[in-house]
This record gives sequence, C-alpha cells and structure tokens, in this order.
Amino acid sequence: MCAVLILGSLAVPAAAQHEGHAMHGMPMEGGWRMVPMDPNMPMLPGLAEAVPVVGAFMPGMGMDPSMLPAARPSEVVPMMDGDTLDVSVSMVRRTIDGHEMVMYGYNQQYPGPLIQAPRDATIIVRVTNDIQSPTTIHWHGIRLDNRYDGVPGVTQDPIERGESFTYEIHVPDAGMFWYHPHVREDVQQDLGLFGNLHVTSPDPEYYGPAHREEVFVLDDMLVDDQGAIPWGDSAPTHALMGRFGNVMMVNGETDHGMTVRQGEVVRLFLTNVANSRTFNVTFGNAQAKIVASDVGRYEREQWVPSVVIAPAERYVVDVRFDEPGEVVIANTIQAINHFRGEFYPNVDTLSVVTVTDEPADPAISRAFDTLREHDAVQEEVESFRPWFDRAPDHELETAVRVQDLHNSIMLSMEADTLYFPPIEWNDGMPMMNWLSTGEQVTWILRDRATGAENEEIDWRFQVGDVVKIRVFNDPESFHPMNHPIHIHGQRFLVLSVDGVTQENLVWKDTAIVPVGSTVDFLVEMSNPGEWMIHCHIAEHLSAGMMFGFTVEP
Amino acid sequence: METSFFLVAAWLAAVGVEPVAPVVASTPAPQFCATSYGPDYYAFPLAATQNIPGTGYARGRAEISVPVTSPFPVAVGLDGSYLYQVDVSIDNMRAPRYGQLVAWVTTSDLERIERIGTLDERMRASGPVSWNKFLVVITLEDSDAAGDEVGAEMWTGPIVFRGMSRSGAMHTMLGHGALQQENCTSYGFGA
Repeated sequence: MCAVLILGSLAVPAAAQHEGHAMHGMPMEGGWRMVPMDPNMPMLPGLAEAVPVVGAFMPGMGMDPSMLPAARPSEVVPMMDGDTLDVSVSMVRRTIDGHEMVMYGYNQQYPGPLIQAPRDATIIVRVTNDIQSPTTIHWHGIRLDNRYDGVPGVTQDPIERGESFTYEIHVPDAGMFWYHPHVREDVQQDLGLFGNLHVTSPDPEYYGPAHREEVFVLDDMLVDDQGAIPWGDSAPTHALMGRFGNVMMVNGETDHGMTVRQGEVVRLFLTNVANSRTFNVTFGNAQAKIVASDVGRYEREQWVPSVVIAPAERYVVDVRFDEPGEVVIANTIQAINHFRGEFYPNVDTLSVVTVTDEPADPAISRAFDTLREHDAVQEEVESFRPWFDRAPDHELETAVRVQDLHNSIMLSMEADTLYFPPIEWNDGMPMMNWLSTGEQVTWILRDRATGAENEEIDWRFQVGDVVKIRVFNDPESFHPMNHPIHIHGQRFLVLSVDGVTQENLVWKDTAIVPVGSTVDFLVEMSNPGEWMIHCHIAEHLSAGMMFGFTVEP
Repeated sequence: METSFFLVAAWLAAVGVEPVAPVVASTPAPQFCATSYGPDYYAFPLAATQNIPGTGYARGRAEISVPVTSPFPVAVGLDGSYLYQVDVSIDNMRAPRYGQLVAWVTTSDLERIERIGTLDERMRASGPVSWNKFLVVITLEDSDAAGDEVGAEMWTGPIVFRGMSRSGAMHTMLGHGALQQENCTSYGFGA
C-alpha cells in the first residue's frame, strides 16, 4: 500500500502526463533520441530528459548512406564438402520502414547468404571484417570443432577490422541452423549480421512432402521517425528487458508476402534473430503442424495453433492454405500495459499470403493430413530414457542485480511486483528499459550448489556424459523475465517444464525458460572443448548472463 | 533510512524537483535459497466464503501449469492468450451434507464462465483455462445439476470458495485512480 501511495504521488497528473511524448525524435544529450512510447503510457517524473549513462552509437556516424552499396536480398549458396565461401562483413545501405540507414551485412545481403550443405560435409568460410568493430561468427547449433565456435577470448581472438579468420564447419546434424556474431550481438546482430545454414539430410523423406520450402527469418527493429534508435557504445541499452523493436520484418522486409495455390503445402523454416522478442506466430485460417526444431525433427508431427519461438530458436512448420484469399501470418500476442495493469491484444503482420483459386497437387495435400511418426528420432530419444528420471546433476537459477538506476525506475520496479507474466511478449516499460544499461544491470545464472555466478561457474564433463541441468527462473528476483537458454556445441532435450513431462521430444540447442518455471534439460556432452551457456537475449548476454564449461575428450 | 529517502524523493518529485540519486541505489543481492519450484509463483489461494458449514478450517488452492500437449514450454492460443491446466484442491474440509462441490473458471467480469468439473472424493478437480485473468469459483450444487456437465453453463448454488489468478493482481498497479483519475472499473478488469 505504501508503495502504491508513493507511486501515486510520483505520477505526473493526468492532464500533464503525456507532455514528454512530444519529445520523440528530438535530439537529446549525447546524441540520443527518446525511444518511441505508447502515448497512453504515463511518463514517470524526472525521466523526460534522462538518457542512458552510456554513449550513443550509430554505425557510420556522420556518413552519407548513399556512399554505401545498397544491400540486396539473401542469396542461396549451395556448398558441397570441401567448398569455400568468402564472407565479407561490411557496412551497407538499407531502407527500413521508409528510413535509409547505415547497417551491416554479410556479403552485402540481408539476411546473410543462405548456405546449404549436405549433412556430414565440411565447409570452409573465410570471413573478412570491414566494419569498425571487431567481430566473429558463431555457428549457432552446429556441433562443430570447438576452434570454430566463434567465441572471442575463448575459441579465437576477435577479427579486427581488415583481418580475416577461416572457419572449418563440419555439419553432423540435419536441420536449419544460423550464424551471427558473438561480439556485441545487441548491436551487430540487430544491424543485420545473421544468416541461415541449412543442413540437408541424405534421406529424401526426412520431411514429409511439401509443394515448396520458404525461409522466414523473424526480426524486429526499433525505429522512430528519423530511423533507428542509437545503440549503447560501451554497453547495451535496454539491459532489463532487451531491445524490442517496433517494426517487424521477415527476411529483412517489412512488407513480406508470397502467393500460393489453393491447397498448397508450404514448409516454413522459422528462425528468430530478434534481440529479445519472443514471437507467437499464427497462420490465420491455415492449418499448421510442427515438424522439427533446432537440431532435428520431433518424435512425431503435431497440429499447432501457433508457434512460440524465442530468440535464436528455429522451428520447421508445414502449413496448408486451403481457402482462396489472403492469409496473414502474424505475431499474435496478448501484450501487457504495466501501467494500466491489463492485457491487450496485439497483432503485427509478418507476411501476407495470397492464396489463388488454382488448385495445388491434391496428392500432397492428402499426405499433409497424416501426422508422421519419426521412428528414428523416437529410437534415439529412447536410448536416453535411463537418464530421464535421474536427479539433476546441476541446478541453475536466474537473478538480476541492478545499481545506479534512476530513482523513479527503482521505485516503479520495486512496486511492480504483483505479477510477472511467463513471457514478456512486448516492452511494457520502454522508457525505463531503454535507460537501463549493461553498466547498471547484471543478469545472473547462479549455480545453486555452489552459489557461483556467471563466469565463476566451472563445470567440467567428459565426452559421452549425459547431464541433467535444471534451470529455475526465479520469479522473486528484482525483475524476472523469460530467458532463452543456449548451450554451445552440444544438443539437449527439454524433458519437463515445472515437473510436467514433455510428451513429444526434439533435440534443441536453445530453449526458453518462462518466468517462475523450472525446466529440465538433458544434455548430451558429445563434443569436446570450451563451450558457453548463456541467455540469448542479446542485452542479457552483454549484461553478464553467461558462463563457460569444459568437455574433456 | 532508505524508506525515508524514497519518501522525500517522492515528495520532491511530486512537486517537480528531481531528487538526487544516492551514490549507489542498488538492490540487495538476491538470497541464495531453495525456493520452491515453478508453479508456486502462479498458484493462488481459494478463500472460503464461510457460506456453508464445514469450511471454517478449510484451505483451497489453485495451481496452474502448461498443458502436457504443448510442444513449447508455454502454451498460447490463437489470440495469444495463455492456455493453462488448472488444478484445484481443497483440504481440511468436512464433506457437505448435500450436493457436490463444482469448480468453475470465469473471467473477472463474469462475462464468460466455464465449468472445470465436480470435485472428486479427494476434493480435487482439474481442467483447462484460456484466459489471462480469471477467477476460480467453487460452488455447492445440487447433485443432479452438478452431474449435468453439458447443460451447466452457470452455477446455481452458493459460492463456497473463490480466488483470482495472480495476473488479476495487476489491475491495482500504476493505472489506478491516483494516476489516471478515472474509474478503475473502466479498464483492466476484463482484460
């Protein structure tokens, strides 16, 4: 009650509470511009002229974008065993939501080249860095040689401007993987440095029949009427919740669409490359079944009303478009307005599918009605069943520690403890979130057995170990939030959520741990080296939420 | 000391003077302790109305979890609402002299009501709910009506226990009267 009274007195009176919103786009101290806010959202006092404590960073600051090459859409690059691809990391010109801006690109493409390679191939990628900042490439989800995992200071030195690094990537698993920097992902990835690596199976019936396959790289970007909101230079902004964008993109396009025939079955390869946003992808009146995820297929195909995909996750979903007309593939969520204390529906169009009345091949359409069982996956999962009911080998819990945040933010955050949703689908506190930086916020993974936090944790395993890791997302921490946990170089099963056993398993490399939940991971330590475990919300990673572990040969 | 600072800061802010931040306004490090797992956070008590005998020492509880059929760690519907399994339990209660206890879920404006089911001999019932904010209501129903699973769209007997989902607590946050100067029933309750 006391906190509510304090906050009541803190609040700007209703008649004046939106005055600060007119400041959108106005230059502020240090080159900042205030983040866009819902005009219905009240401004806390003292925040109207506040800016993050770190400096503002824009790529190519002061550079005329017209001097840069225009980025072009992603190109498919088929590669066979032993093939080499040269990848340059450079500044490009992009136009997003009507704003021409300087961004980054792999080979001047958005997303980067779509690399296709057969399972068990080894491909070579020579990366040359032509941007101002050092960079690396992390081959997300690939159980590759540790030397090429792309973690600066662990597996390689960062690639400085003008330098090159050659990655040799052996791909032992079929599936849709992706690549991105492991240096300031909150900046470099957000600016366009990401691409897919599609590893194909030698089994022609690995997936069921489909009329076509489409790659959907899901992303968002935070812009105002002048373009992208600057990023933090020495540390990320938005360290509390991560940087949510307000413009949605598929494959870097804000107006993505495609045309299909009636009854056409489209296999969508979804990858979430957003810094923080978890999408709930819906498919209008089209029927969808989930087929595979990060590192392979589910035990069995399953009908789904939507696909919940956290940052860095991938899902393969077959969708049949039965009715002529338009189908909107959308991010459909129940957003939260923390100030008004309410949920509200929010739908953002991701892609518009035009379904013609020309019929597609009915034979394939009939096959779509059958939910396939993947015997090979079931047999492999079964071989790990002896570990399912074992006590956890390690337990982690999440926490966050803050210091030197503005008093209004502290007061508001401390009072806002009545409810935290399992998933933060939207940024319900954009101003407070923007002002929290990696210099003030430390996100924590804590070993419950030792109390060690983040890089203090020292786990050691042997190749062949099967390890159960329990992660508890503590809802009593200062500002709990969902965390997509990524484990490098290995694969794992999500065995249970809050003690509820998962019935349809799939090998993963990233999985979300909702607020308040306890998730059991069963990790197959199959790949020797020095690896990372971290949250894949880019700002949480930069704010410390990571540690290394060793797998001895 | 800290409370005093915040009270002063709040007053200064209210009159338009920005308070000076303390040198380090840090939160204490979270305690390392064996907190209970998962669903406890979203569990909520069911309070007895004392409308019928035998509930004086009774304790009710509703727990929610992700349905086992979801291939994701959370389950949401087509409109983005969370899909939960609700497990209702009553302990320390004398069996009622007549009728049966029936569990219901309803939106907080009572616009939509769905029946979870009749409590079994262990005073337990389970069922799905697909709303972000909801109430659990346990009523004492006539035996015949309670057995009519299809036709029972609304309870007819007295409410014996009730409780609100944790998400329901949000409506008292900053959007309440002191800030918005509007009747709080005009927003939030149904959402």
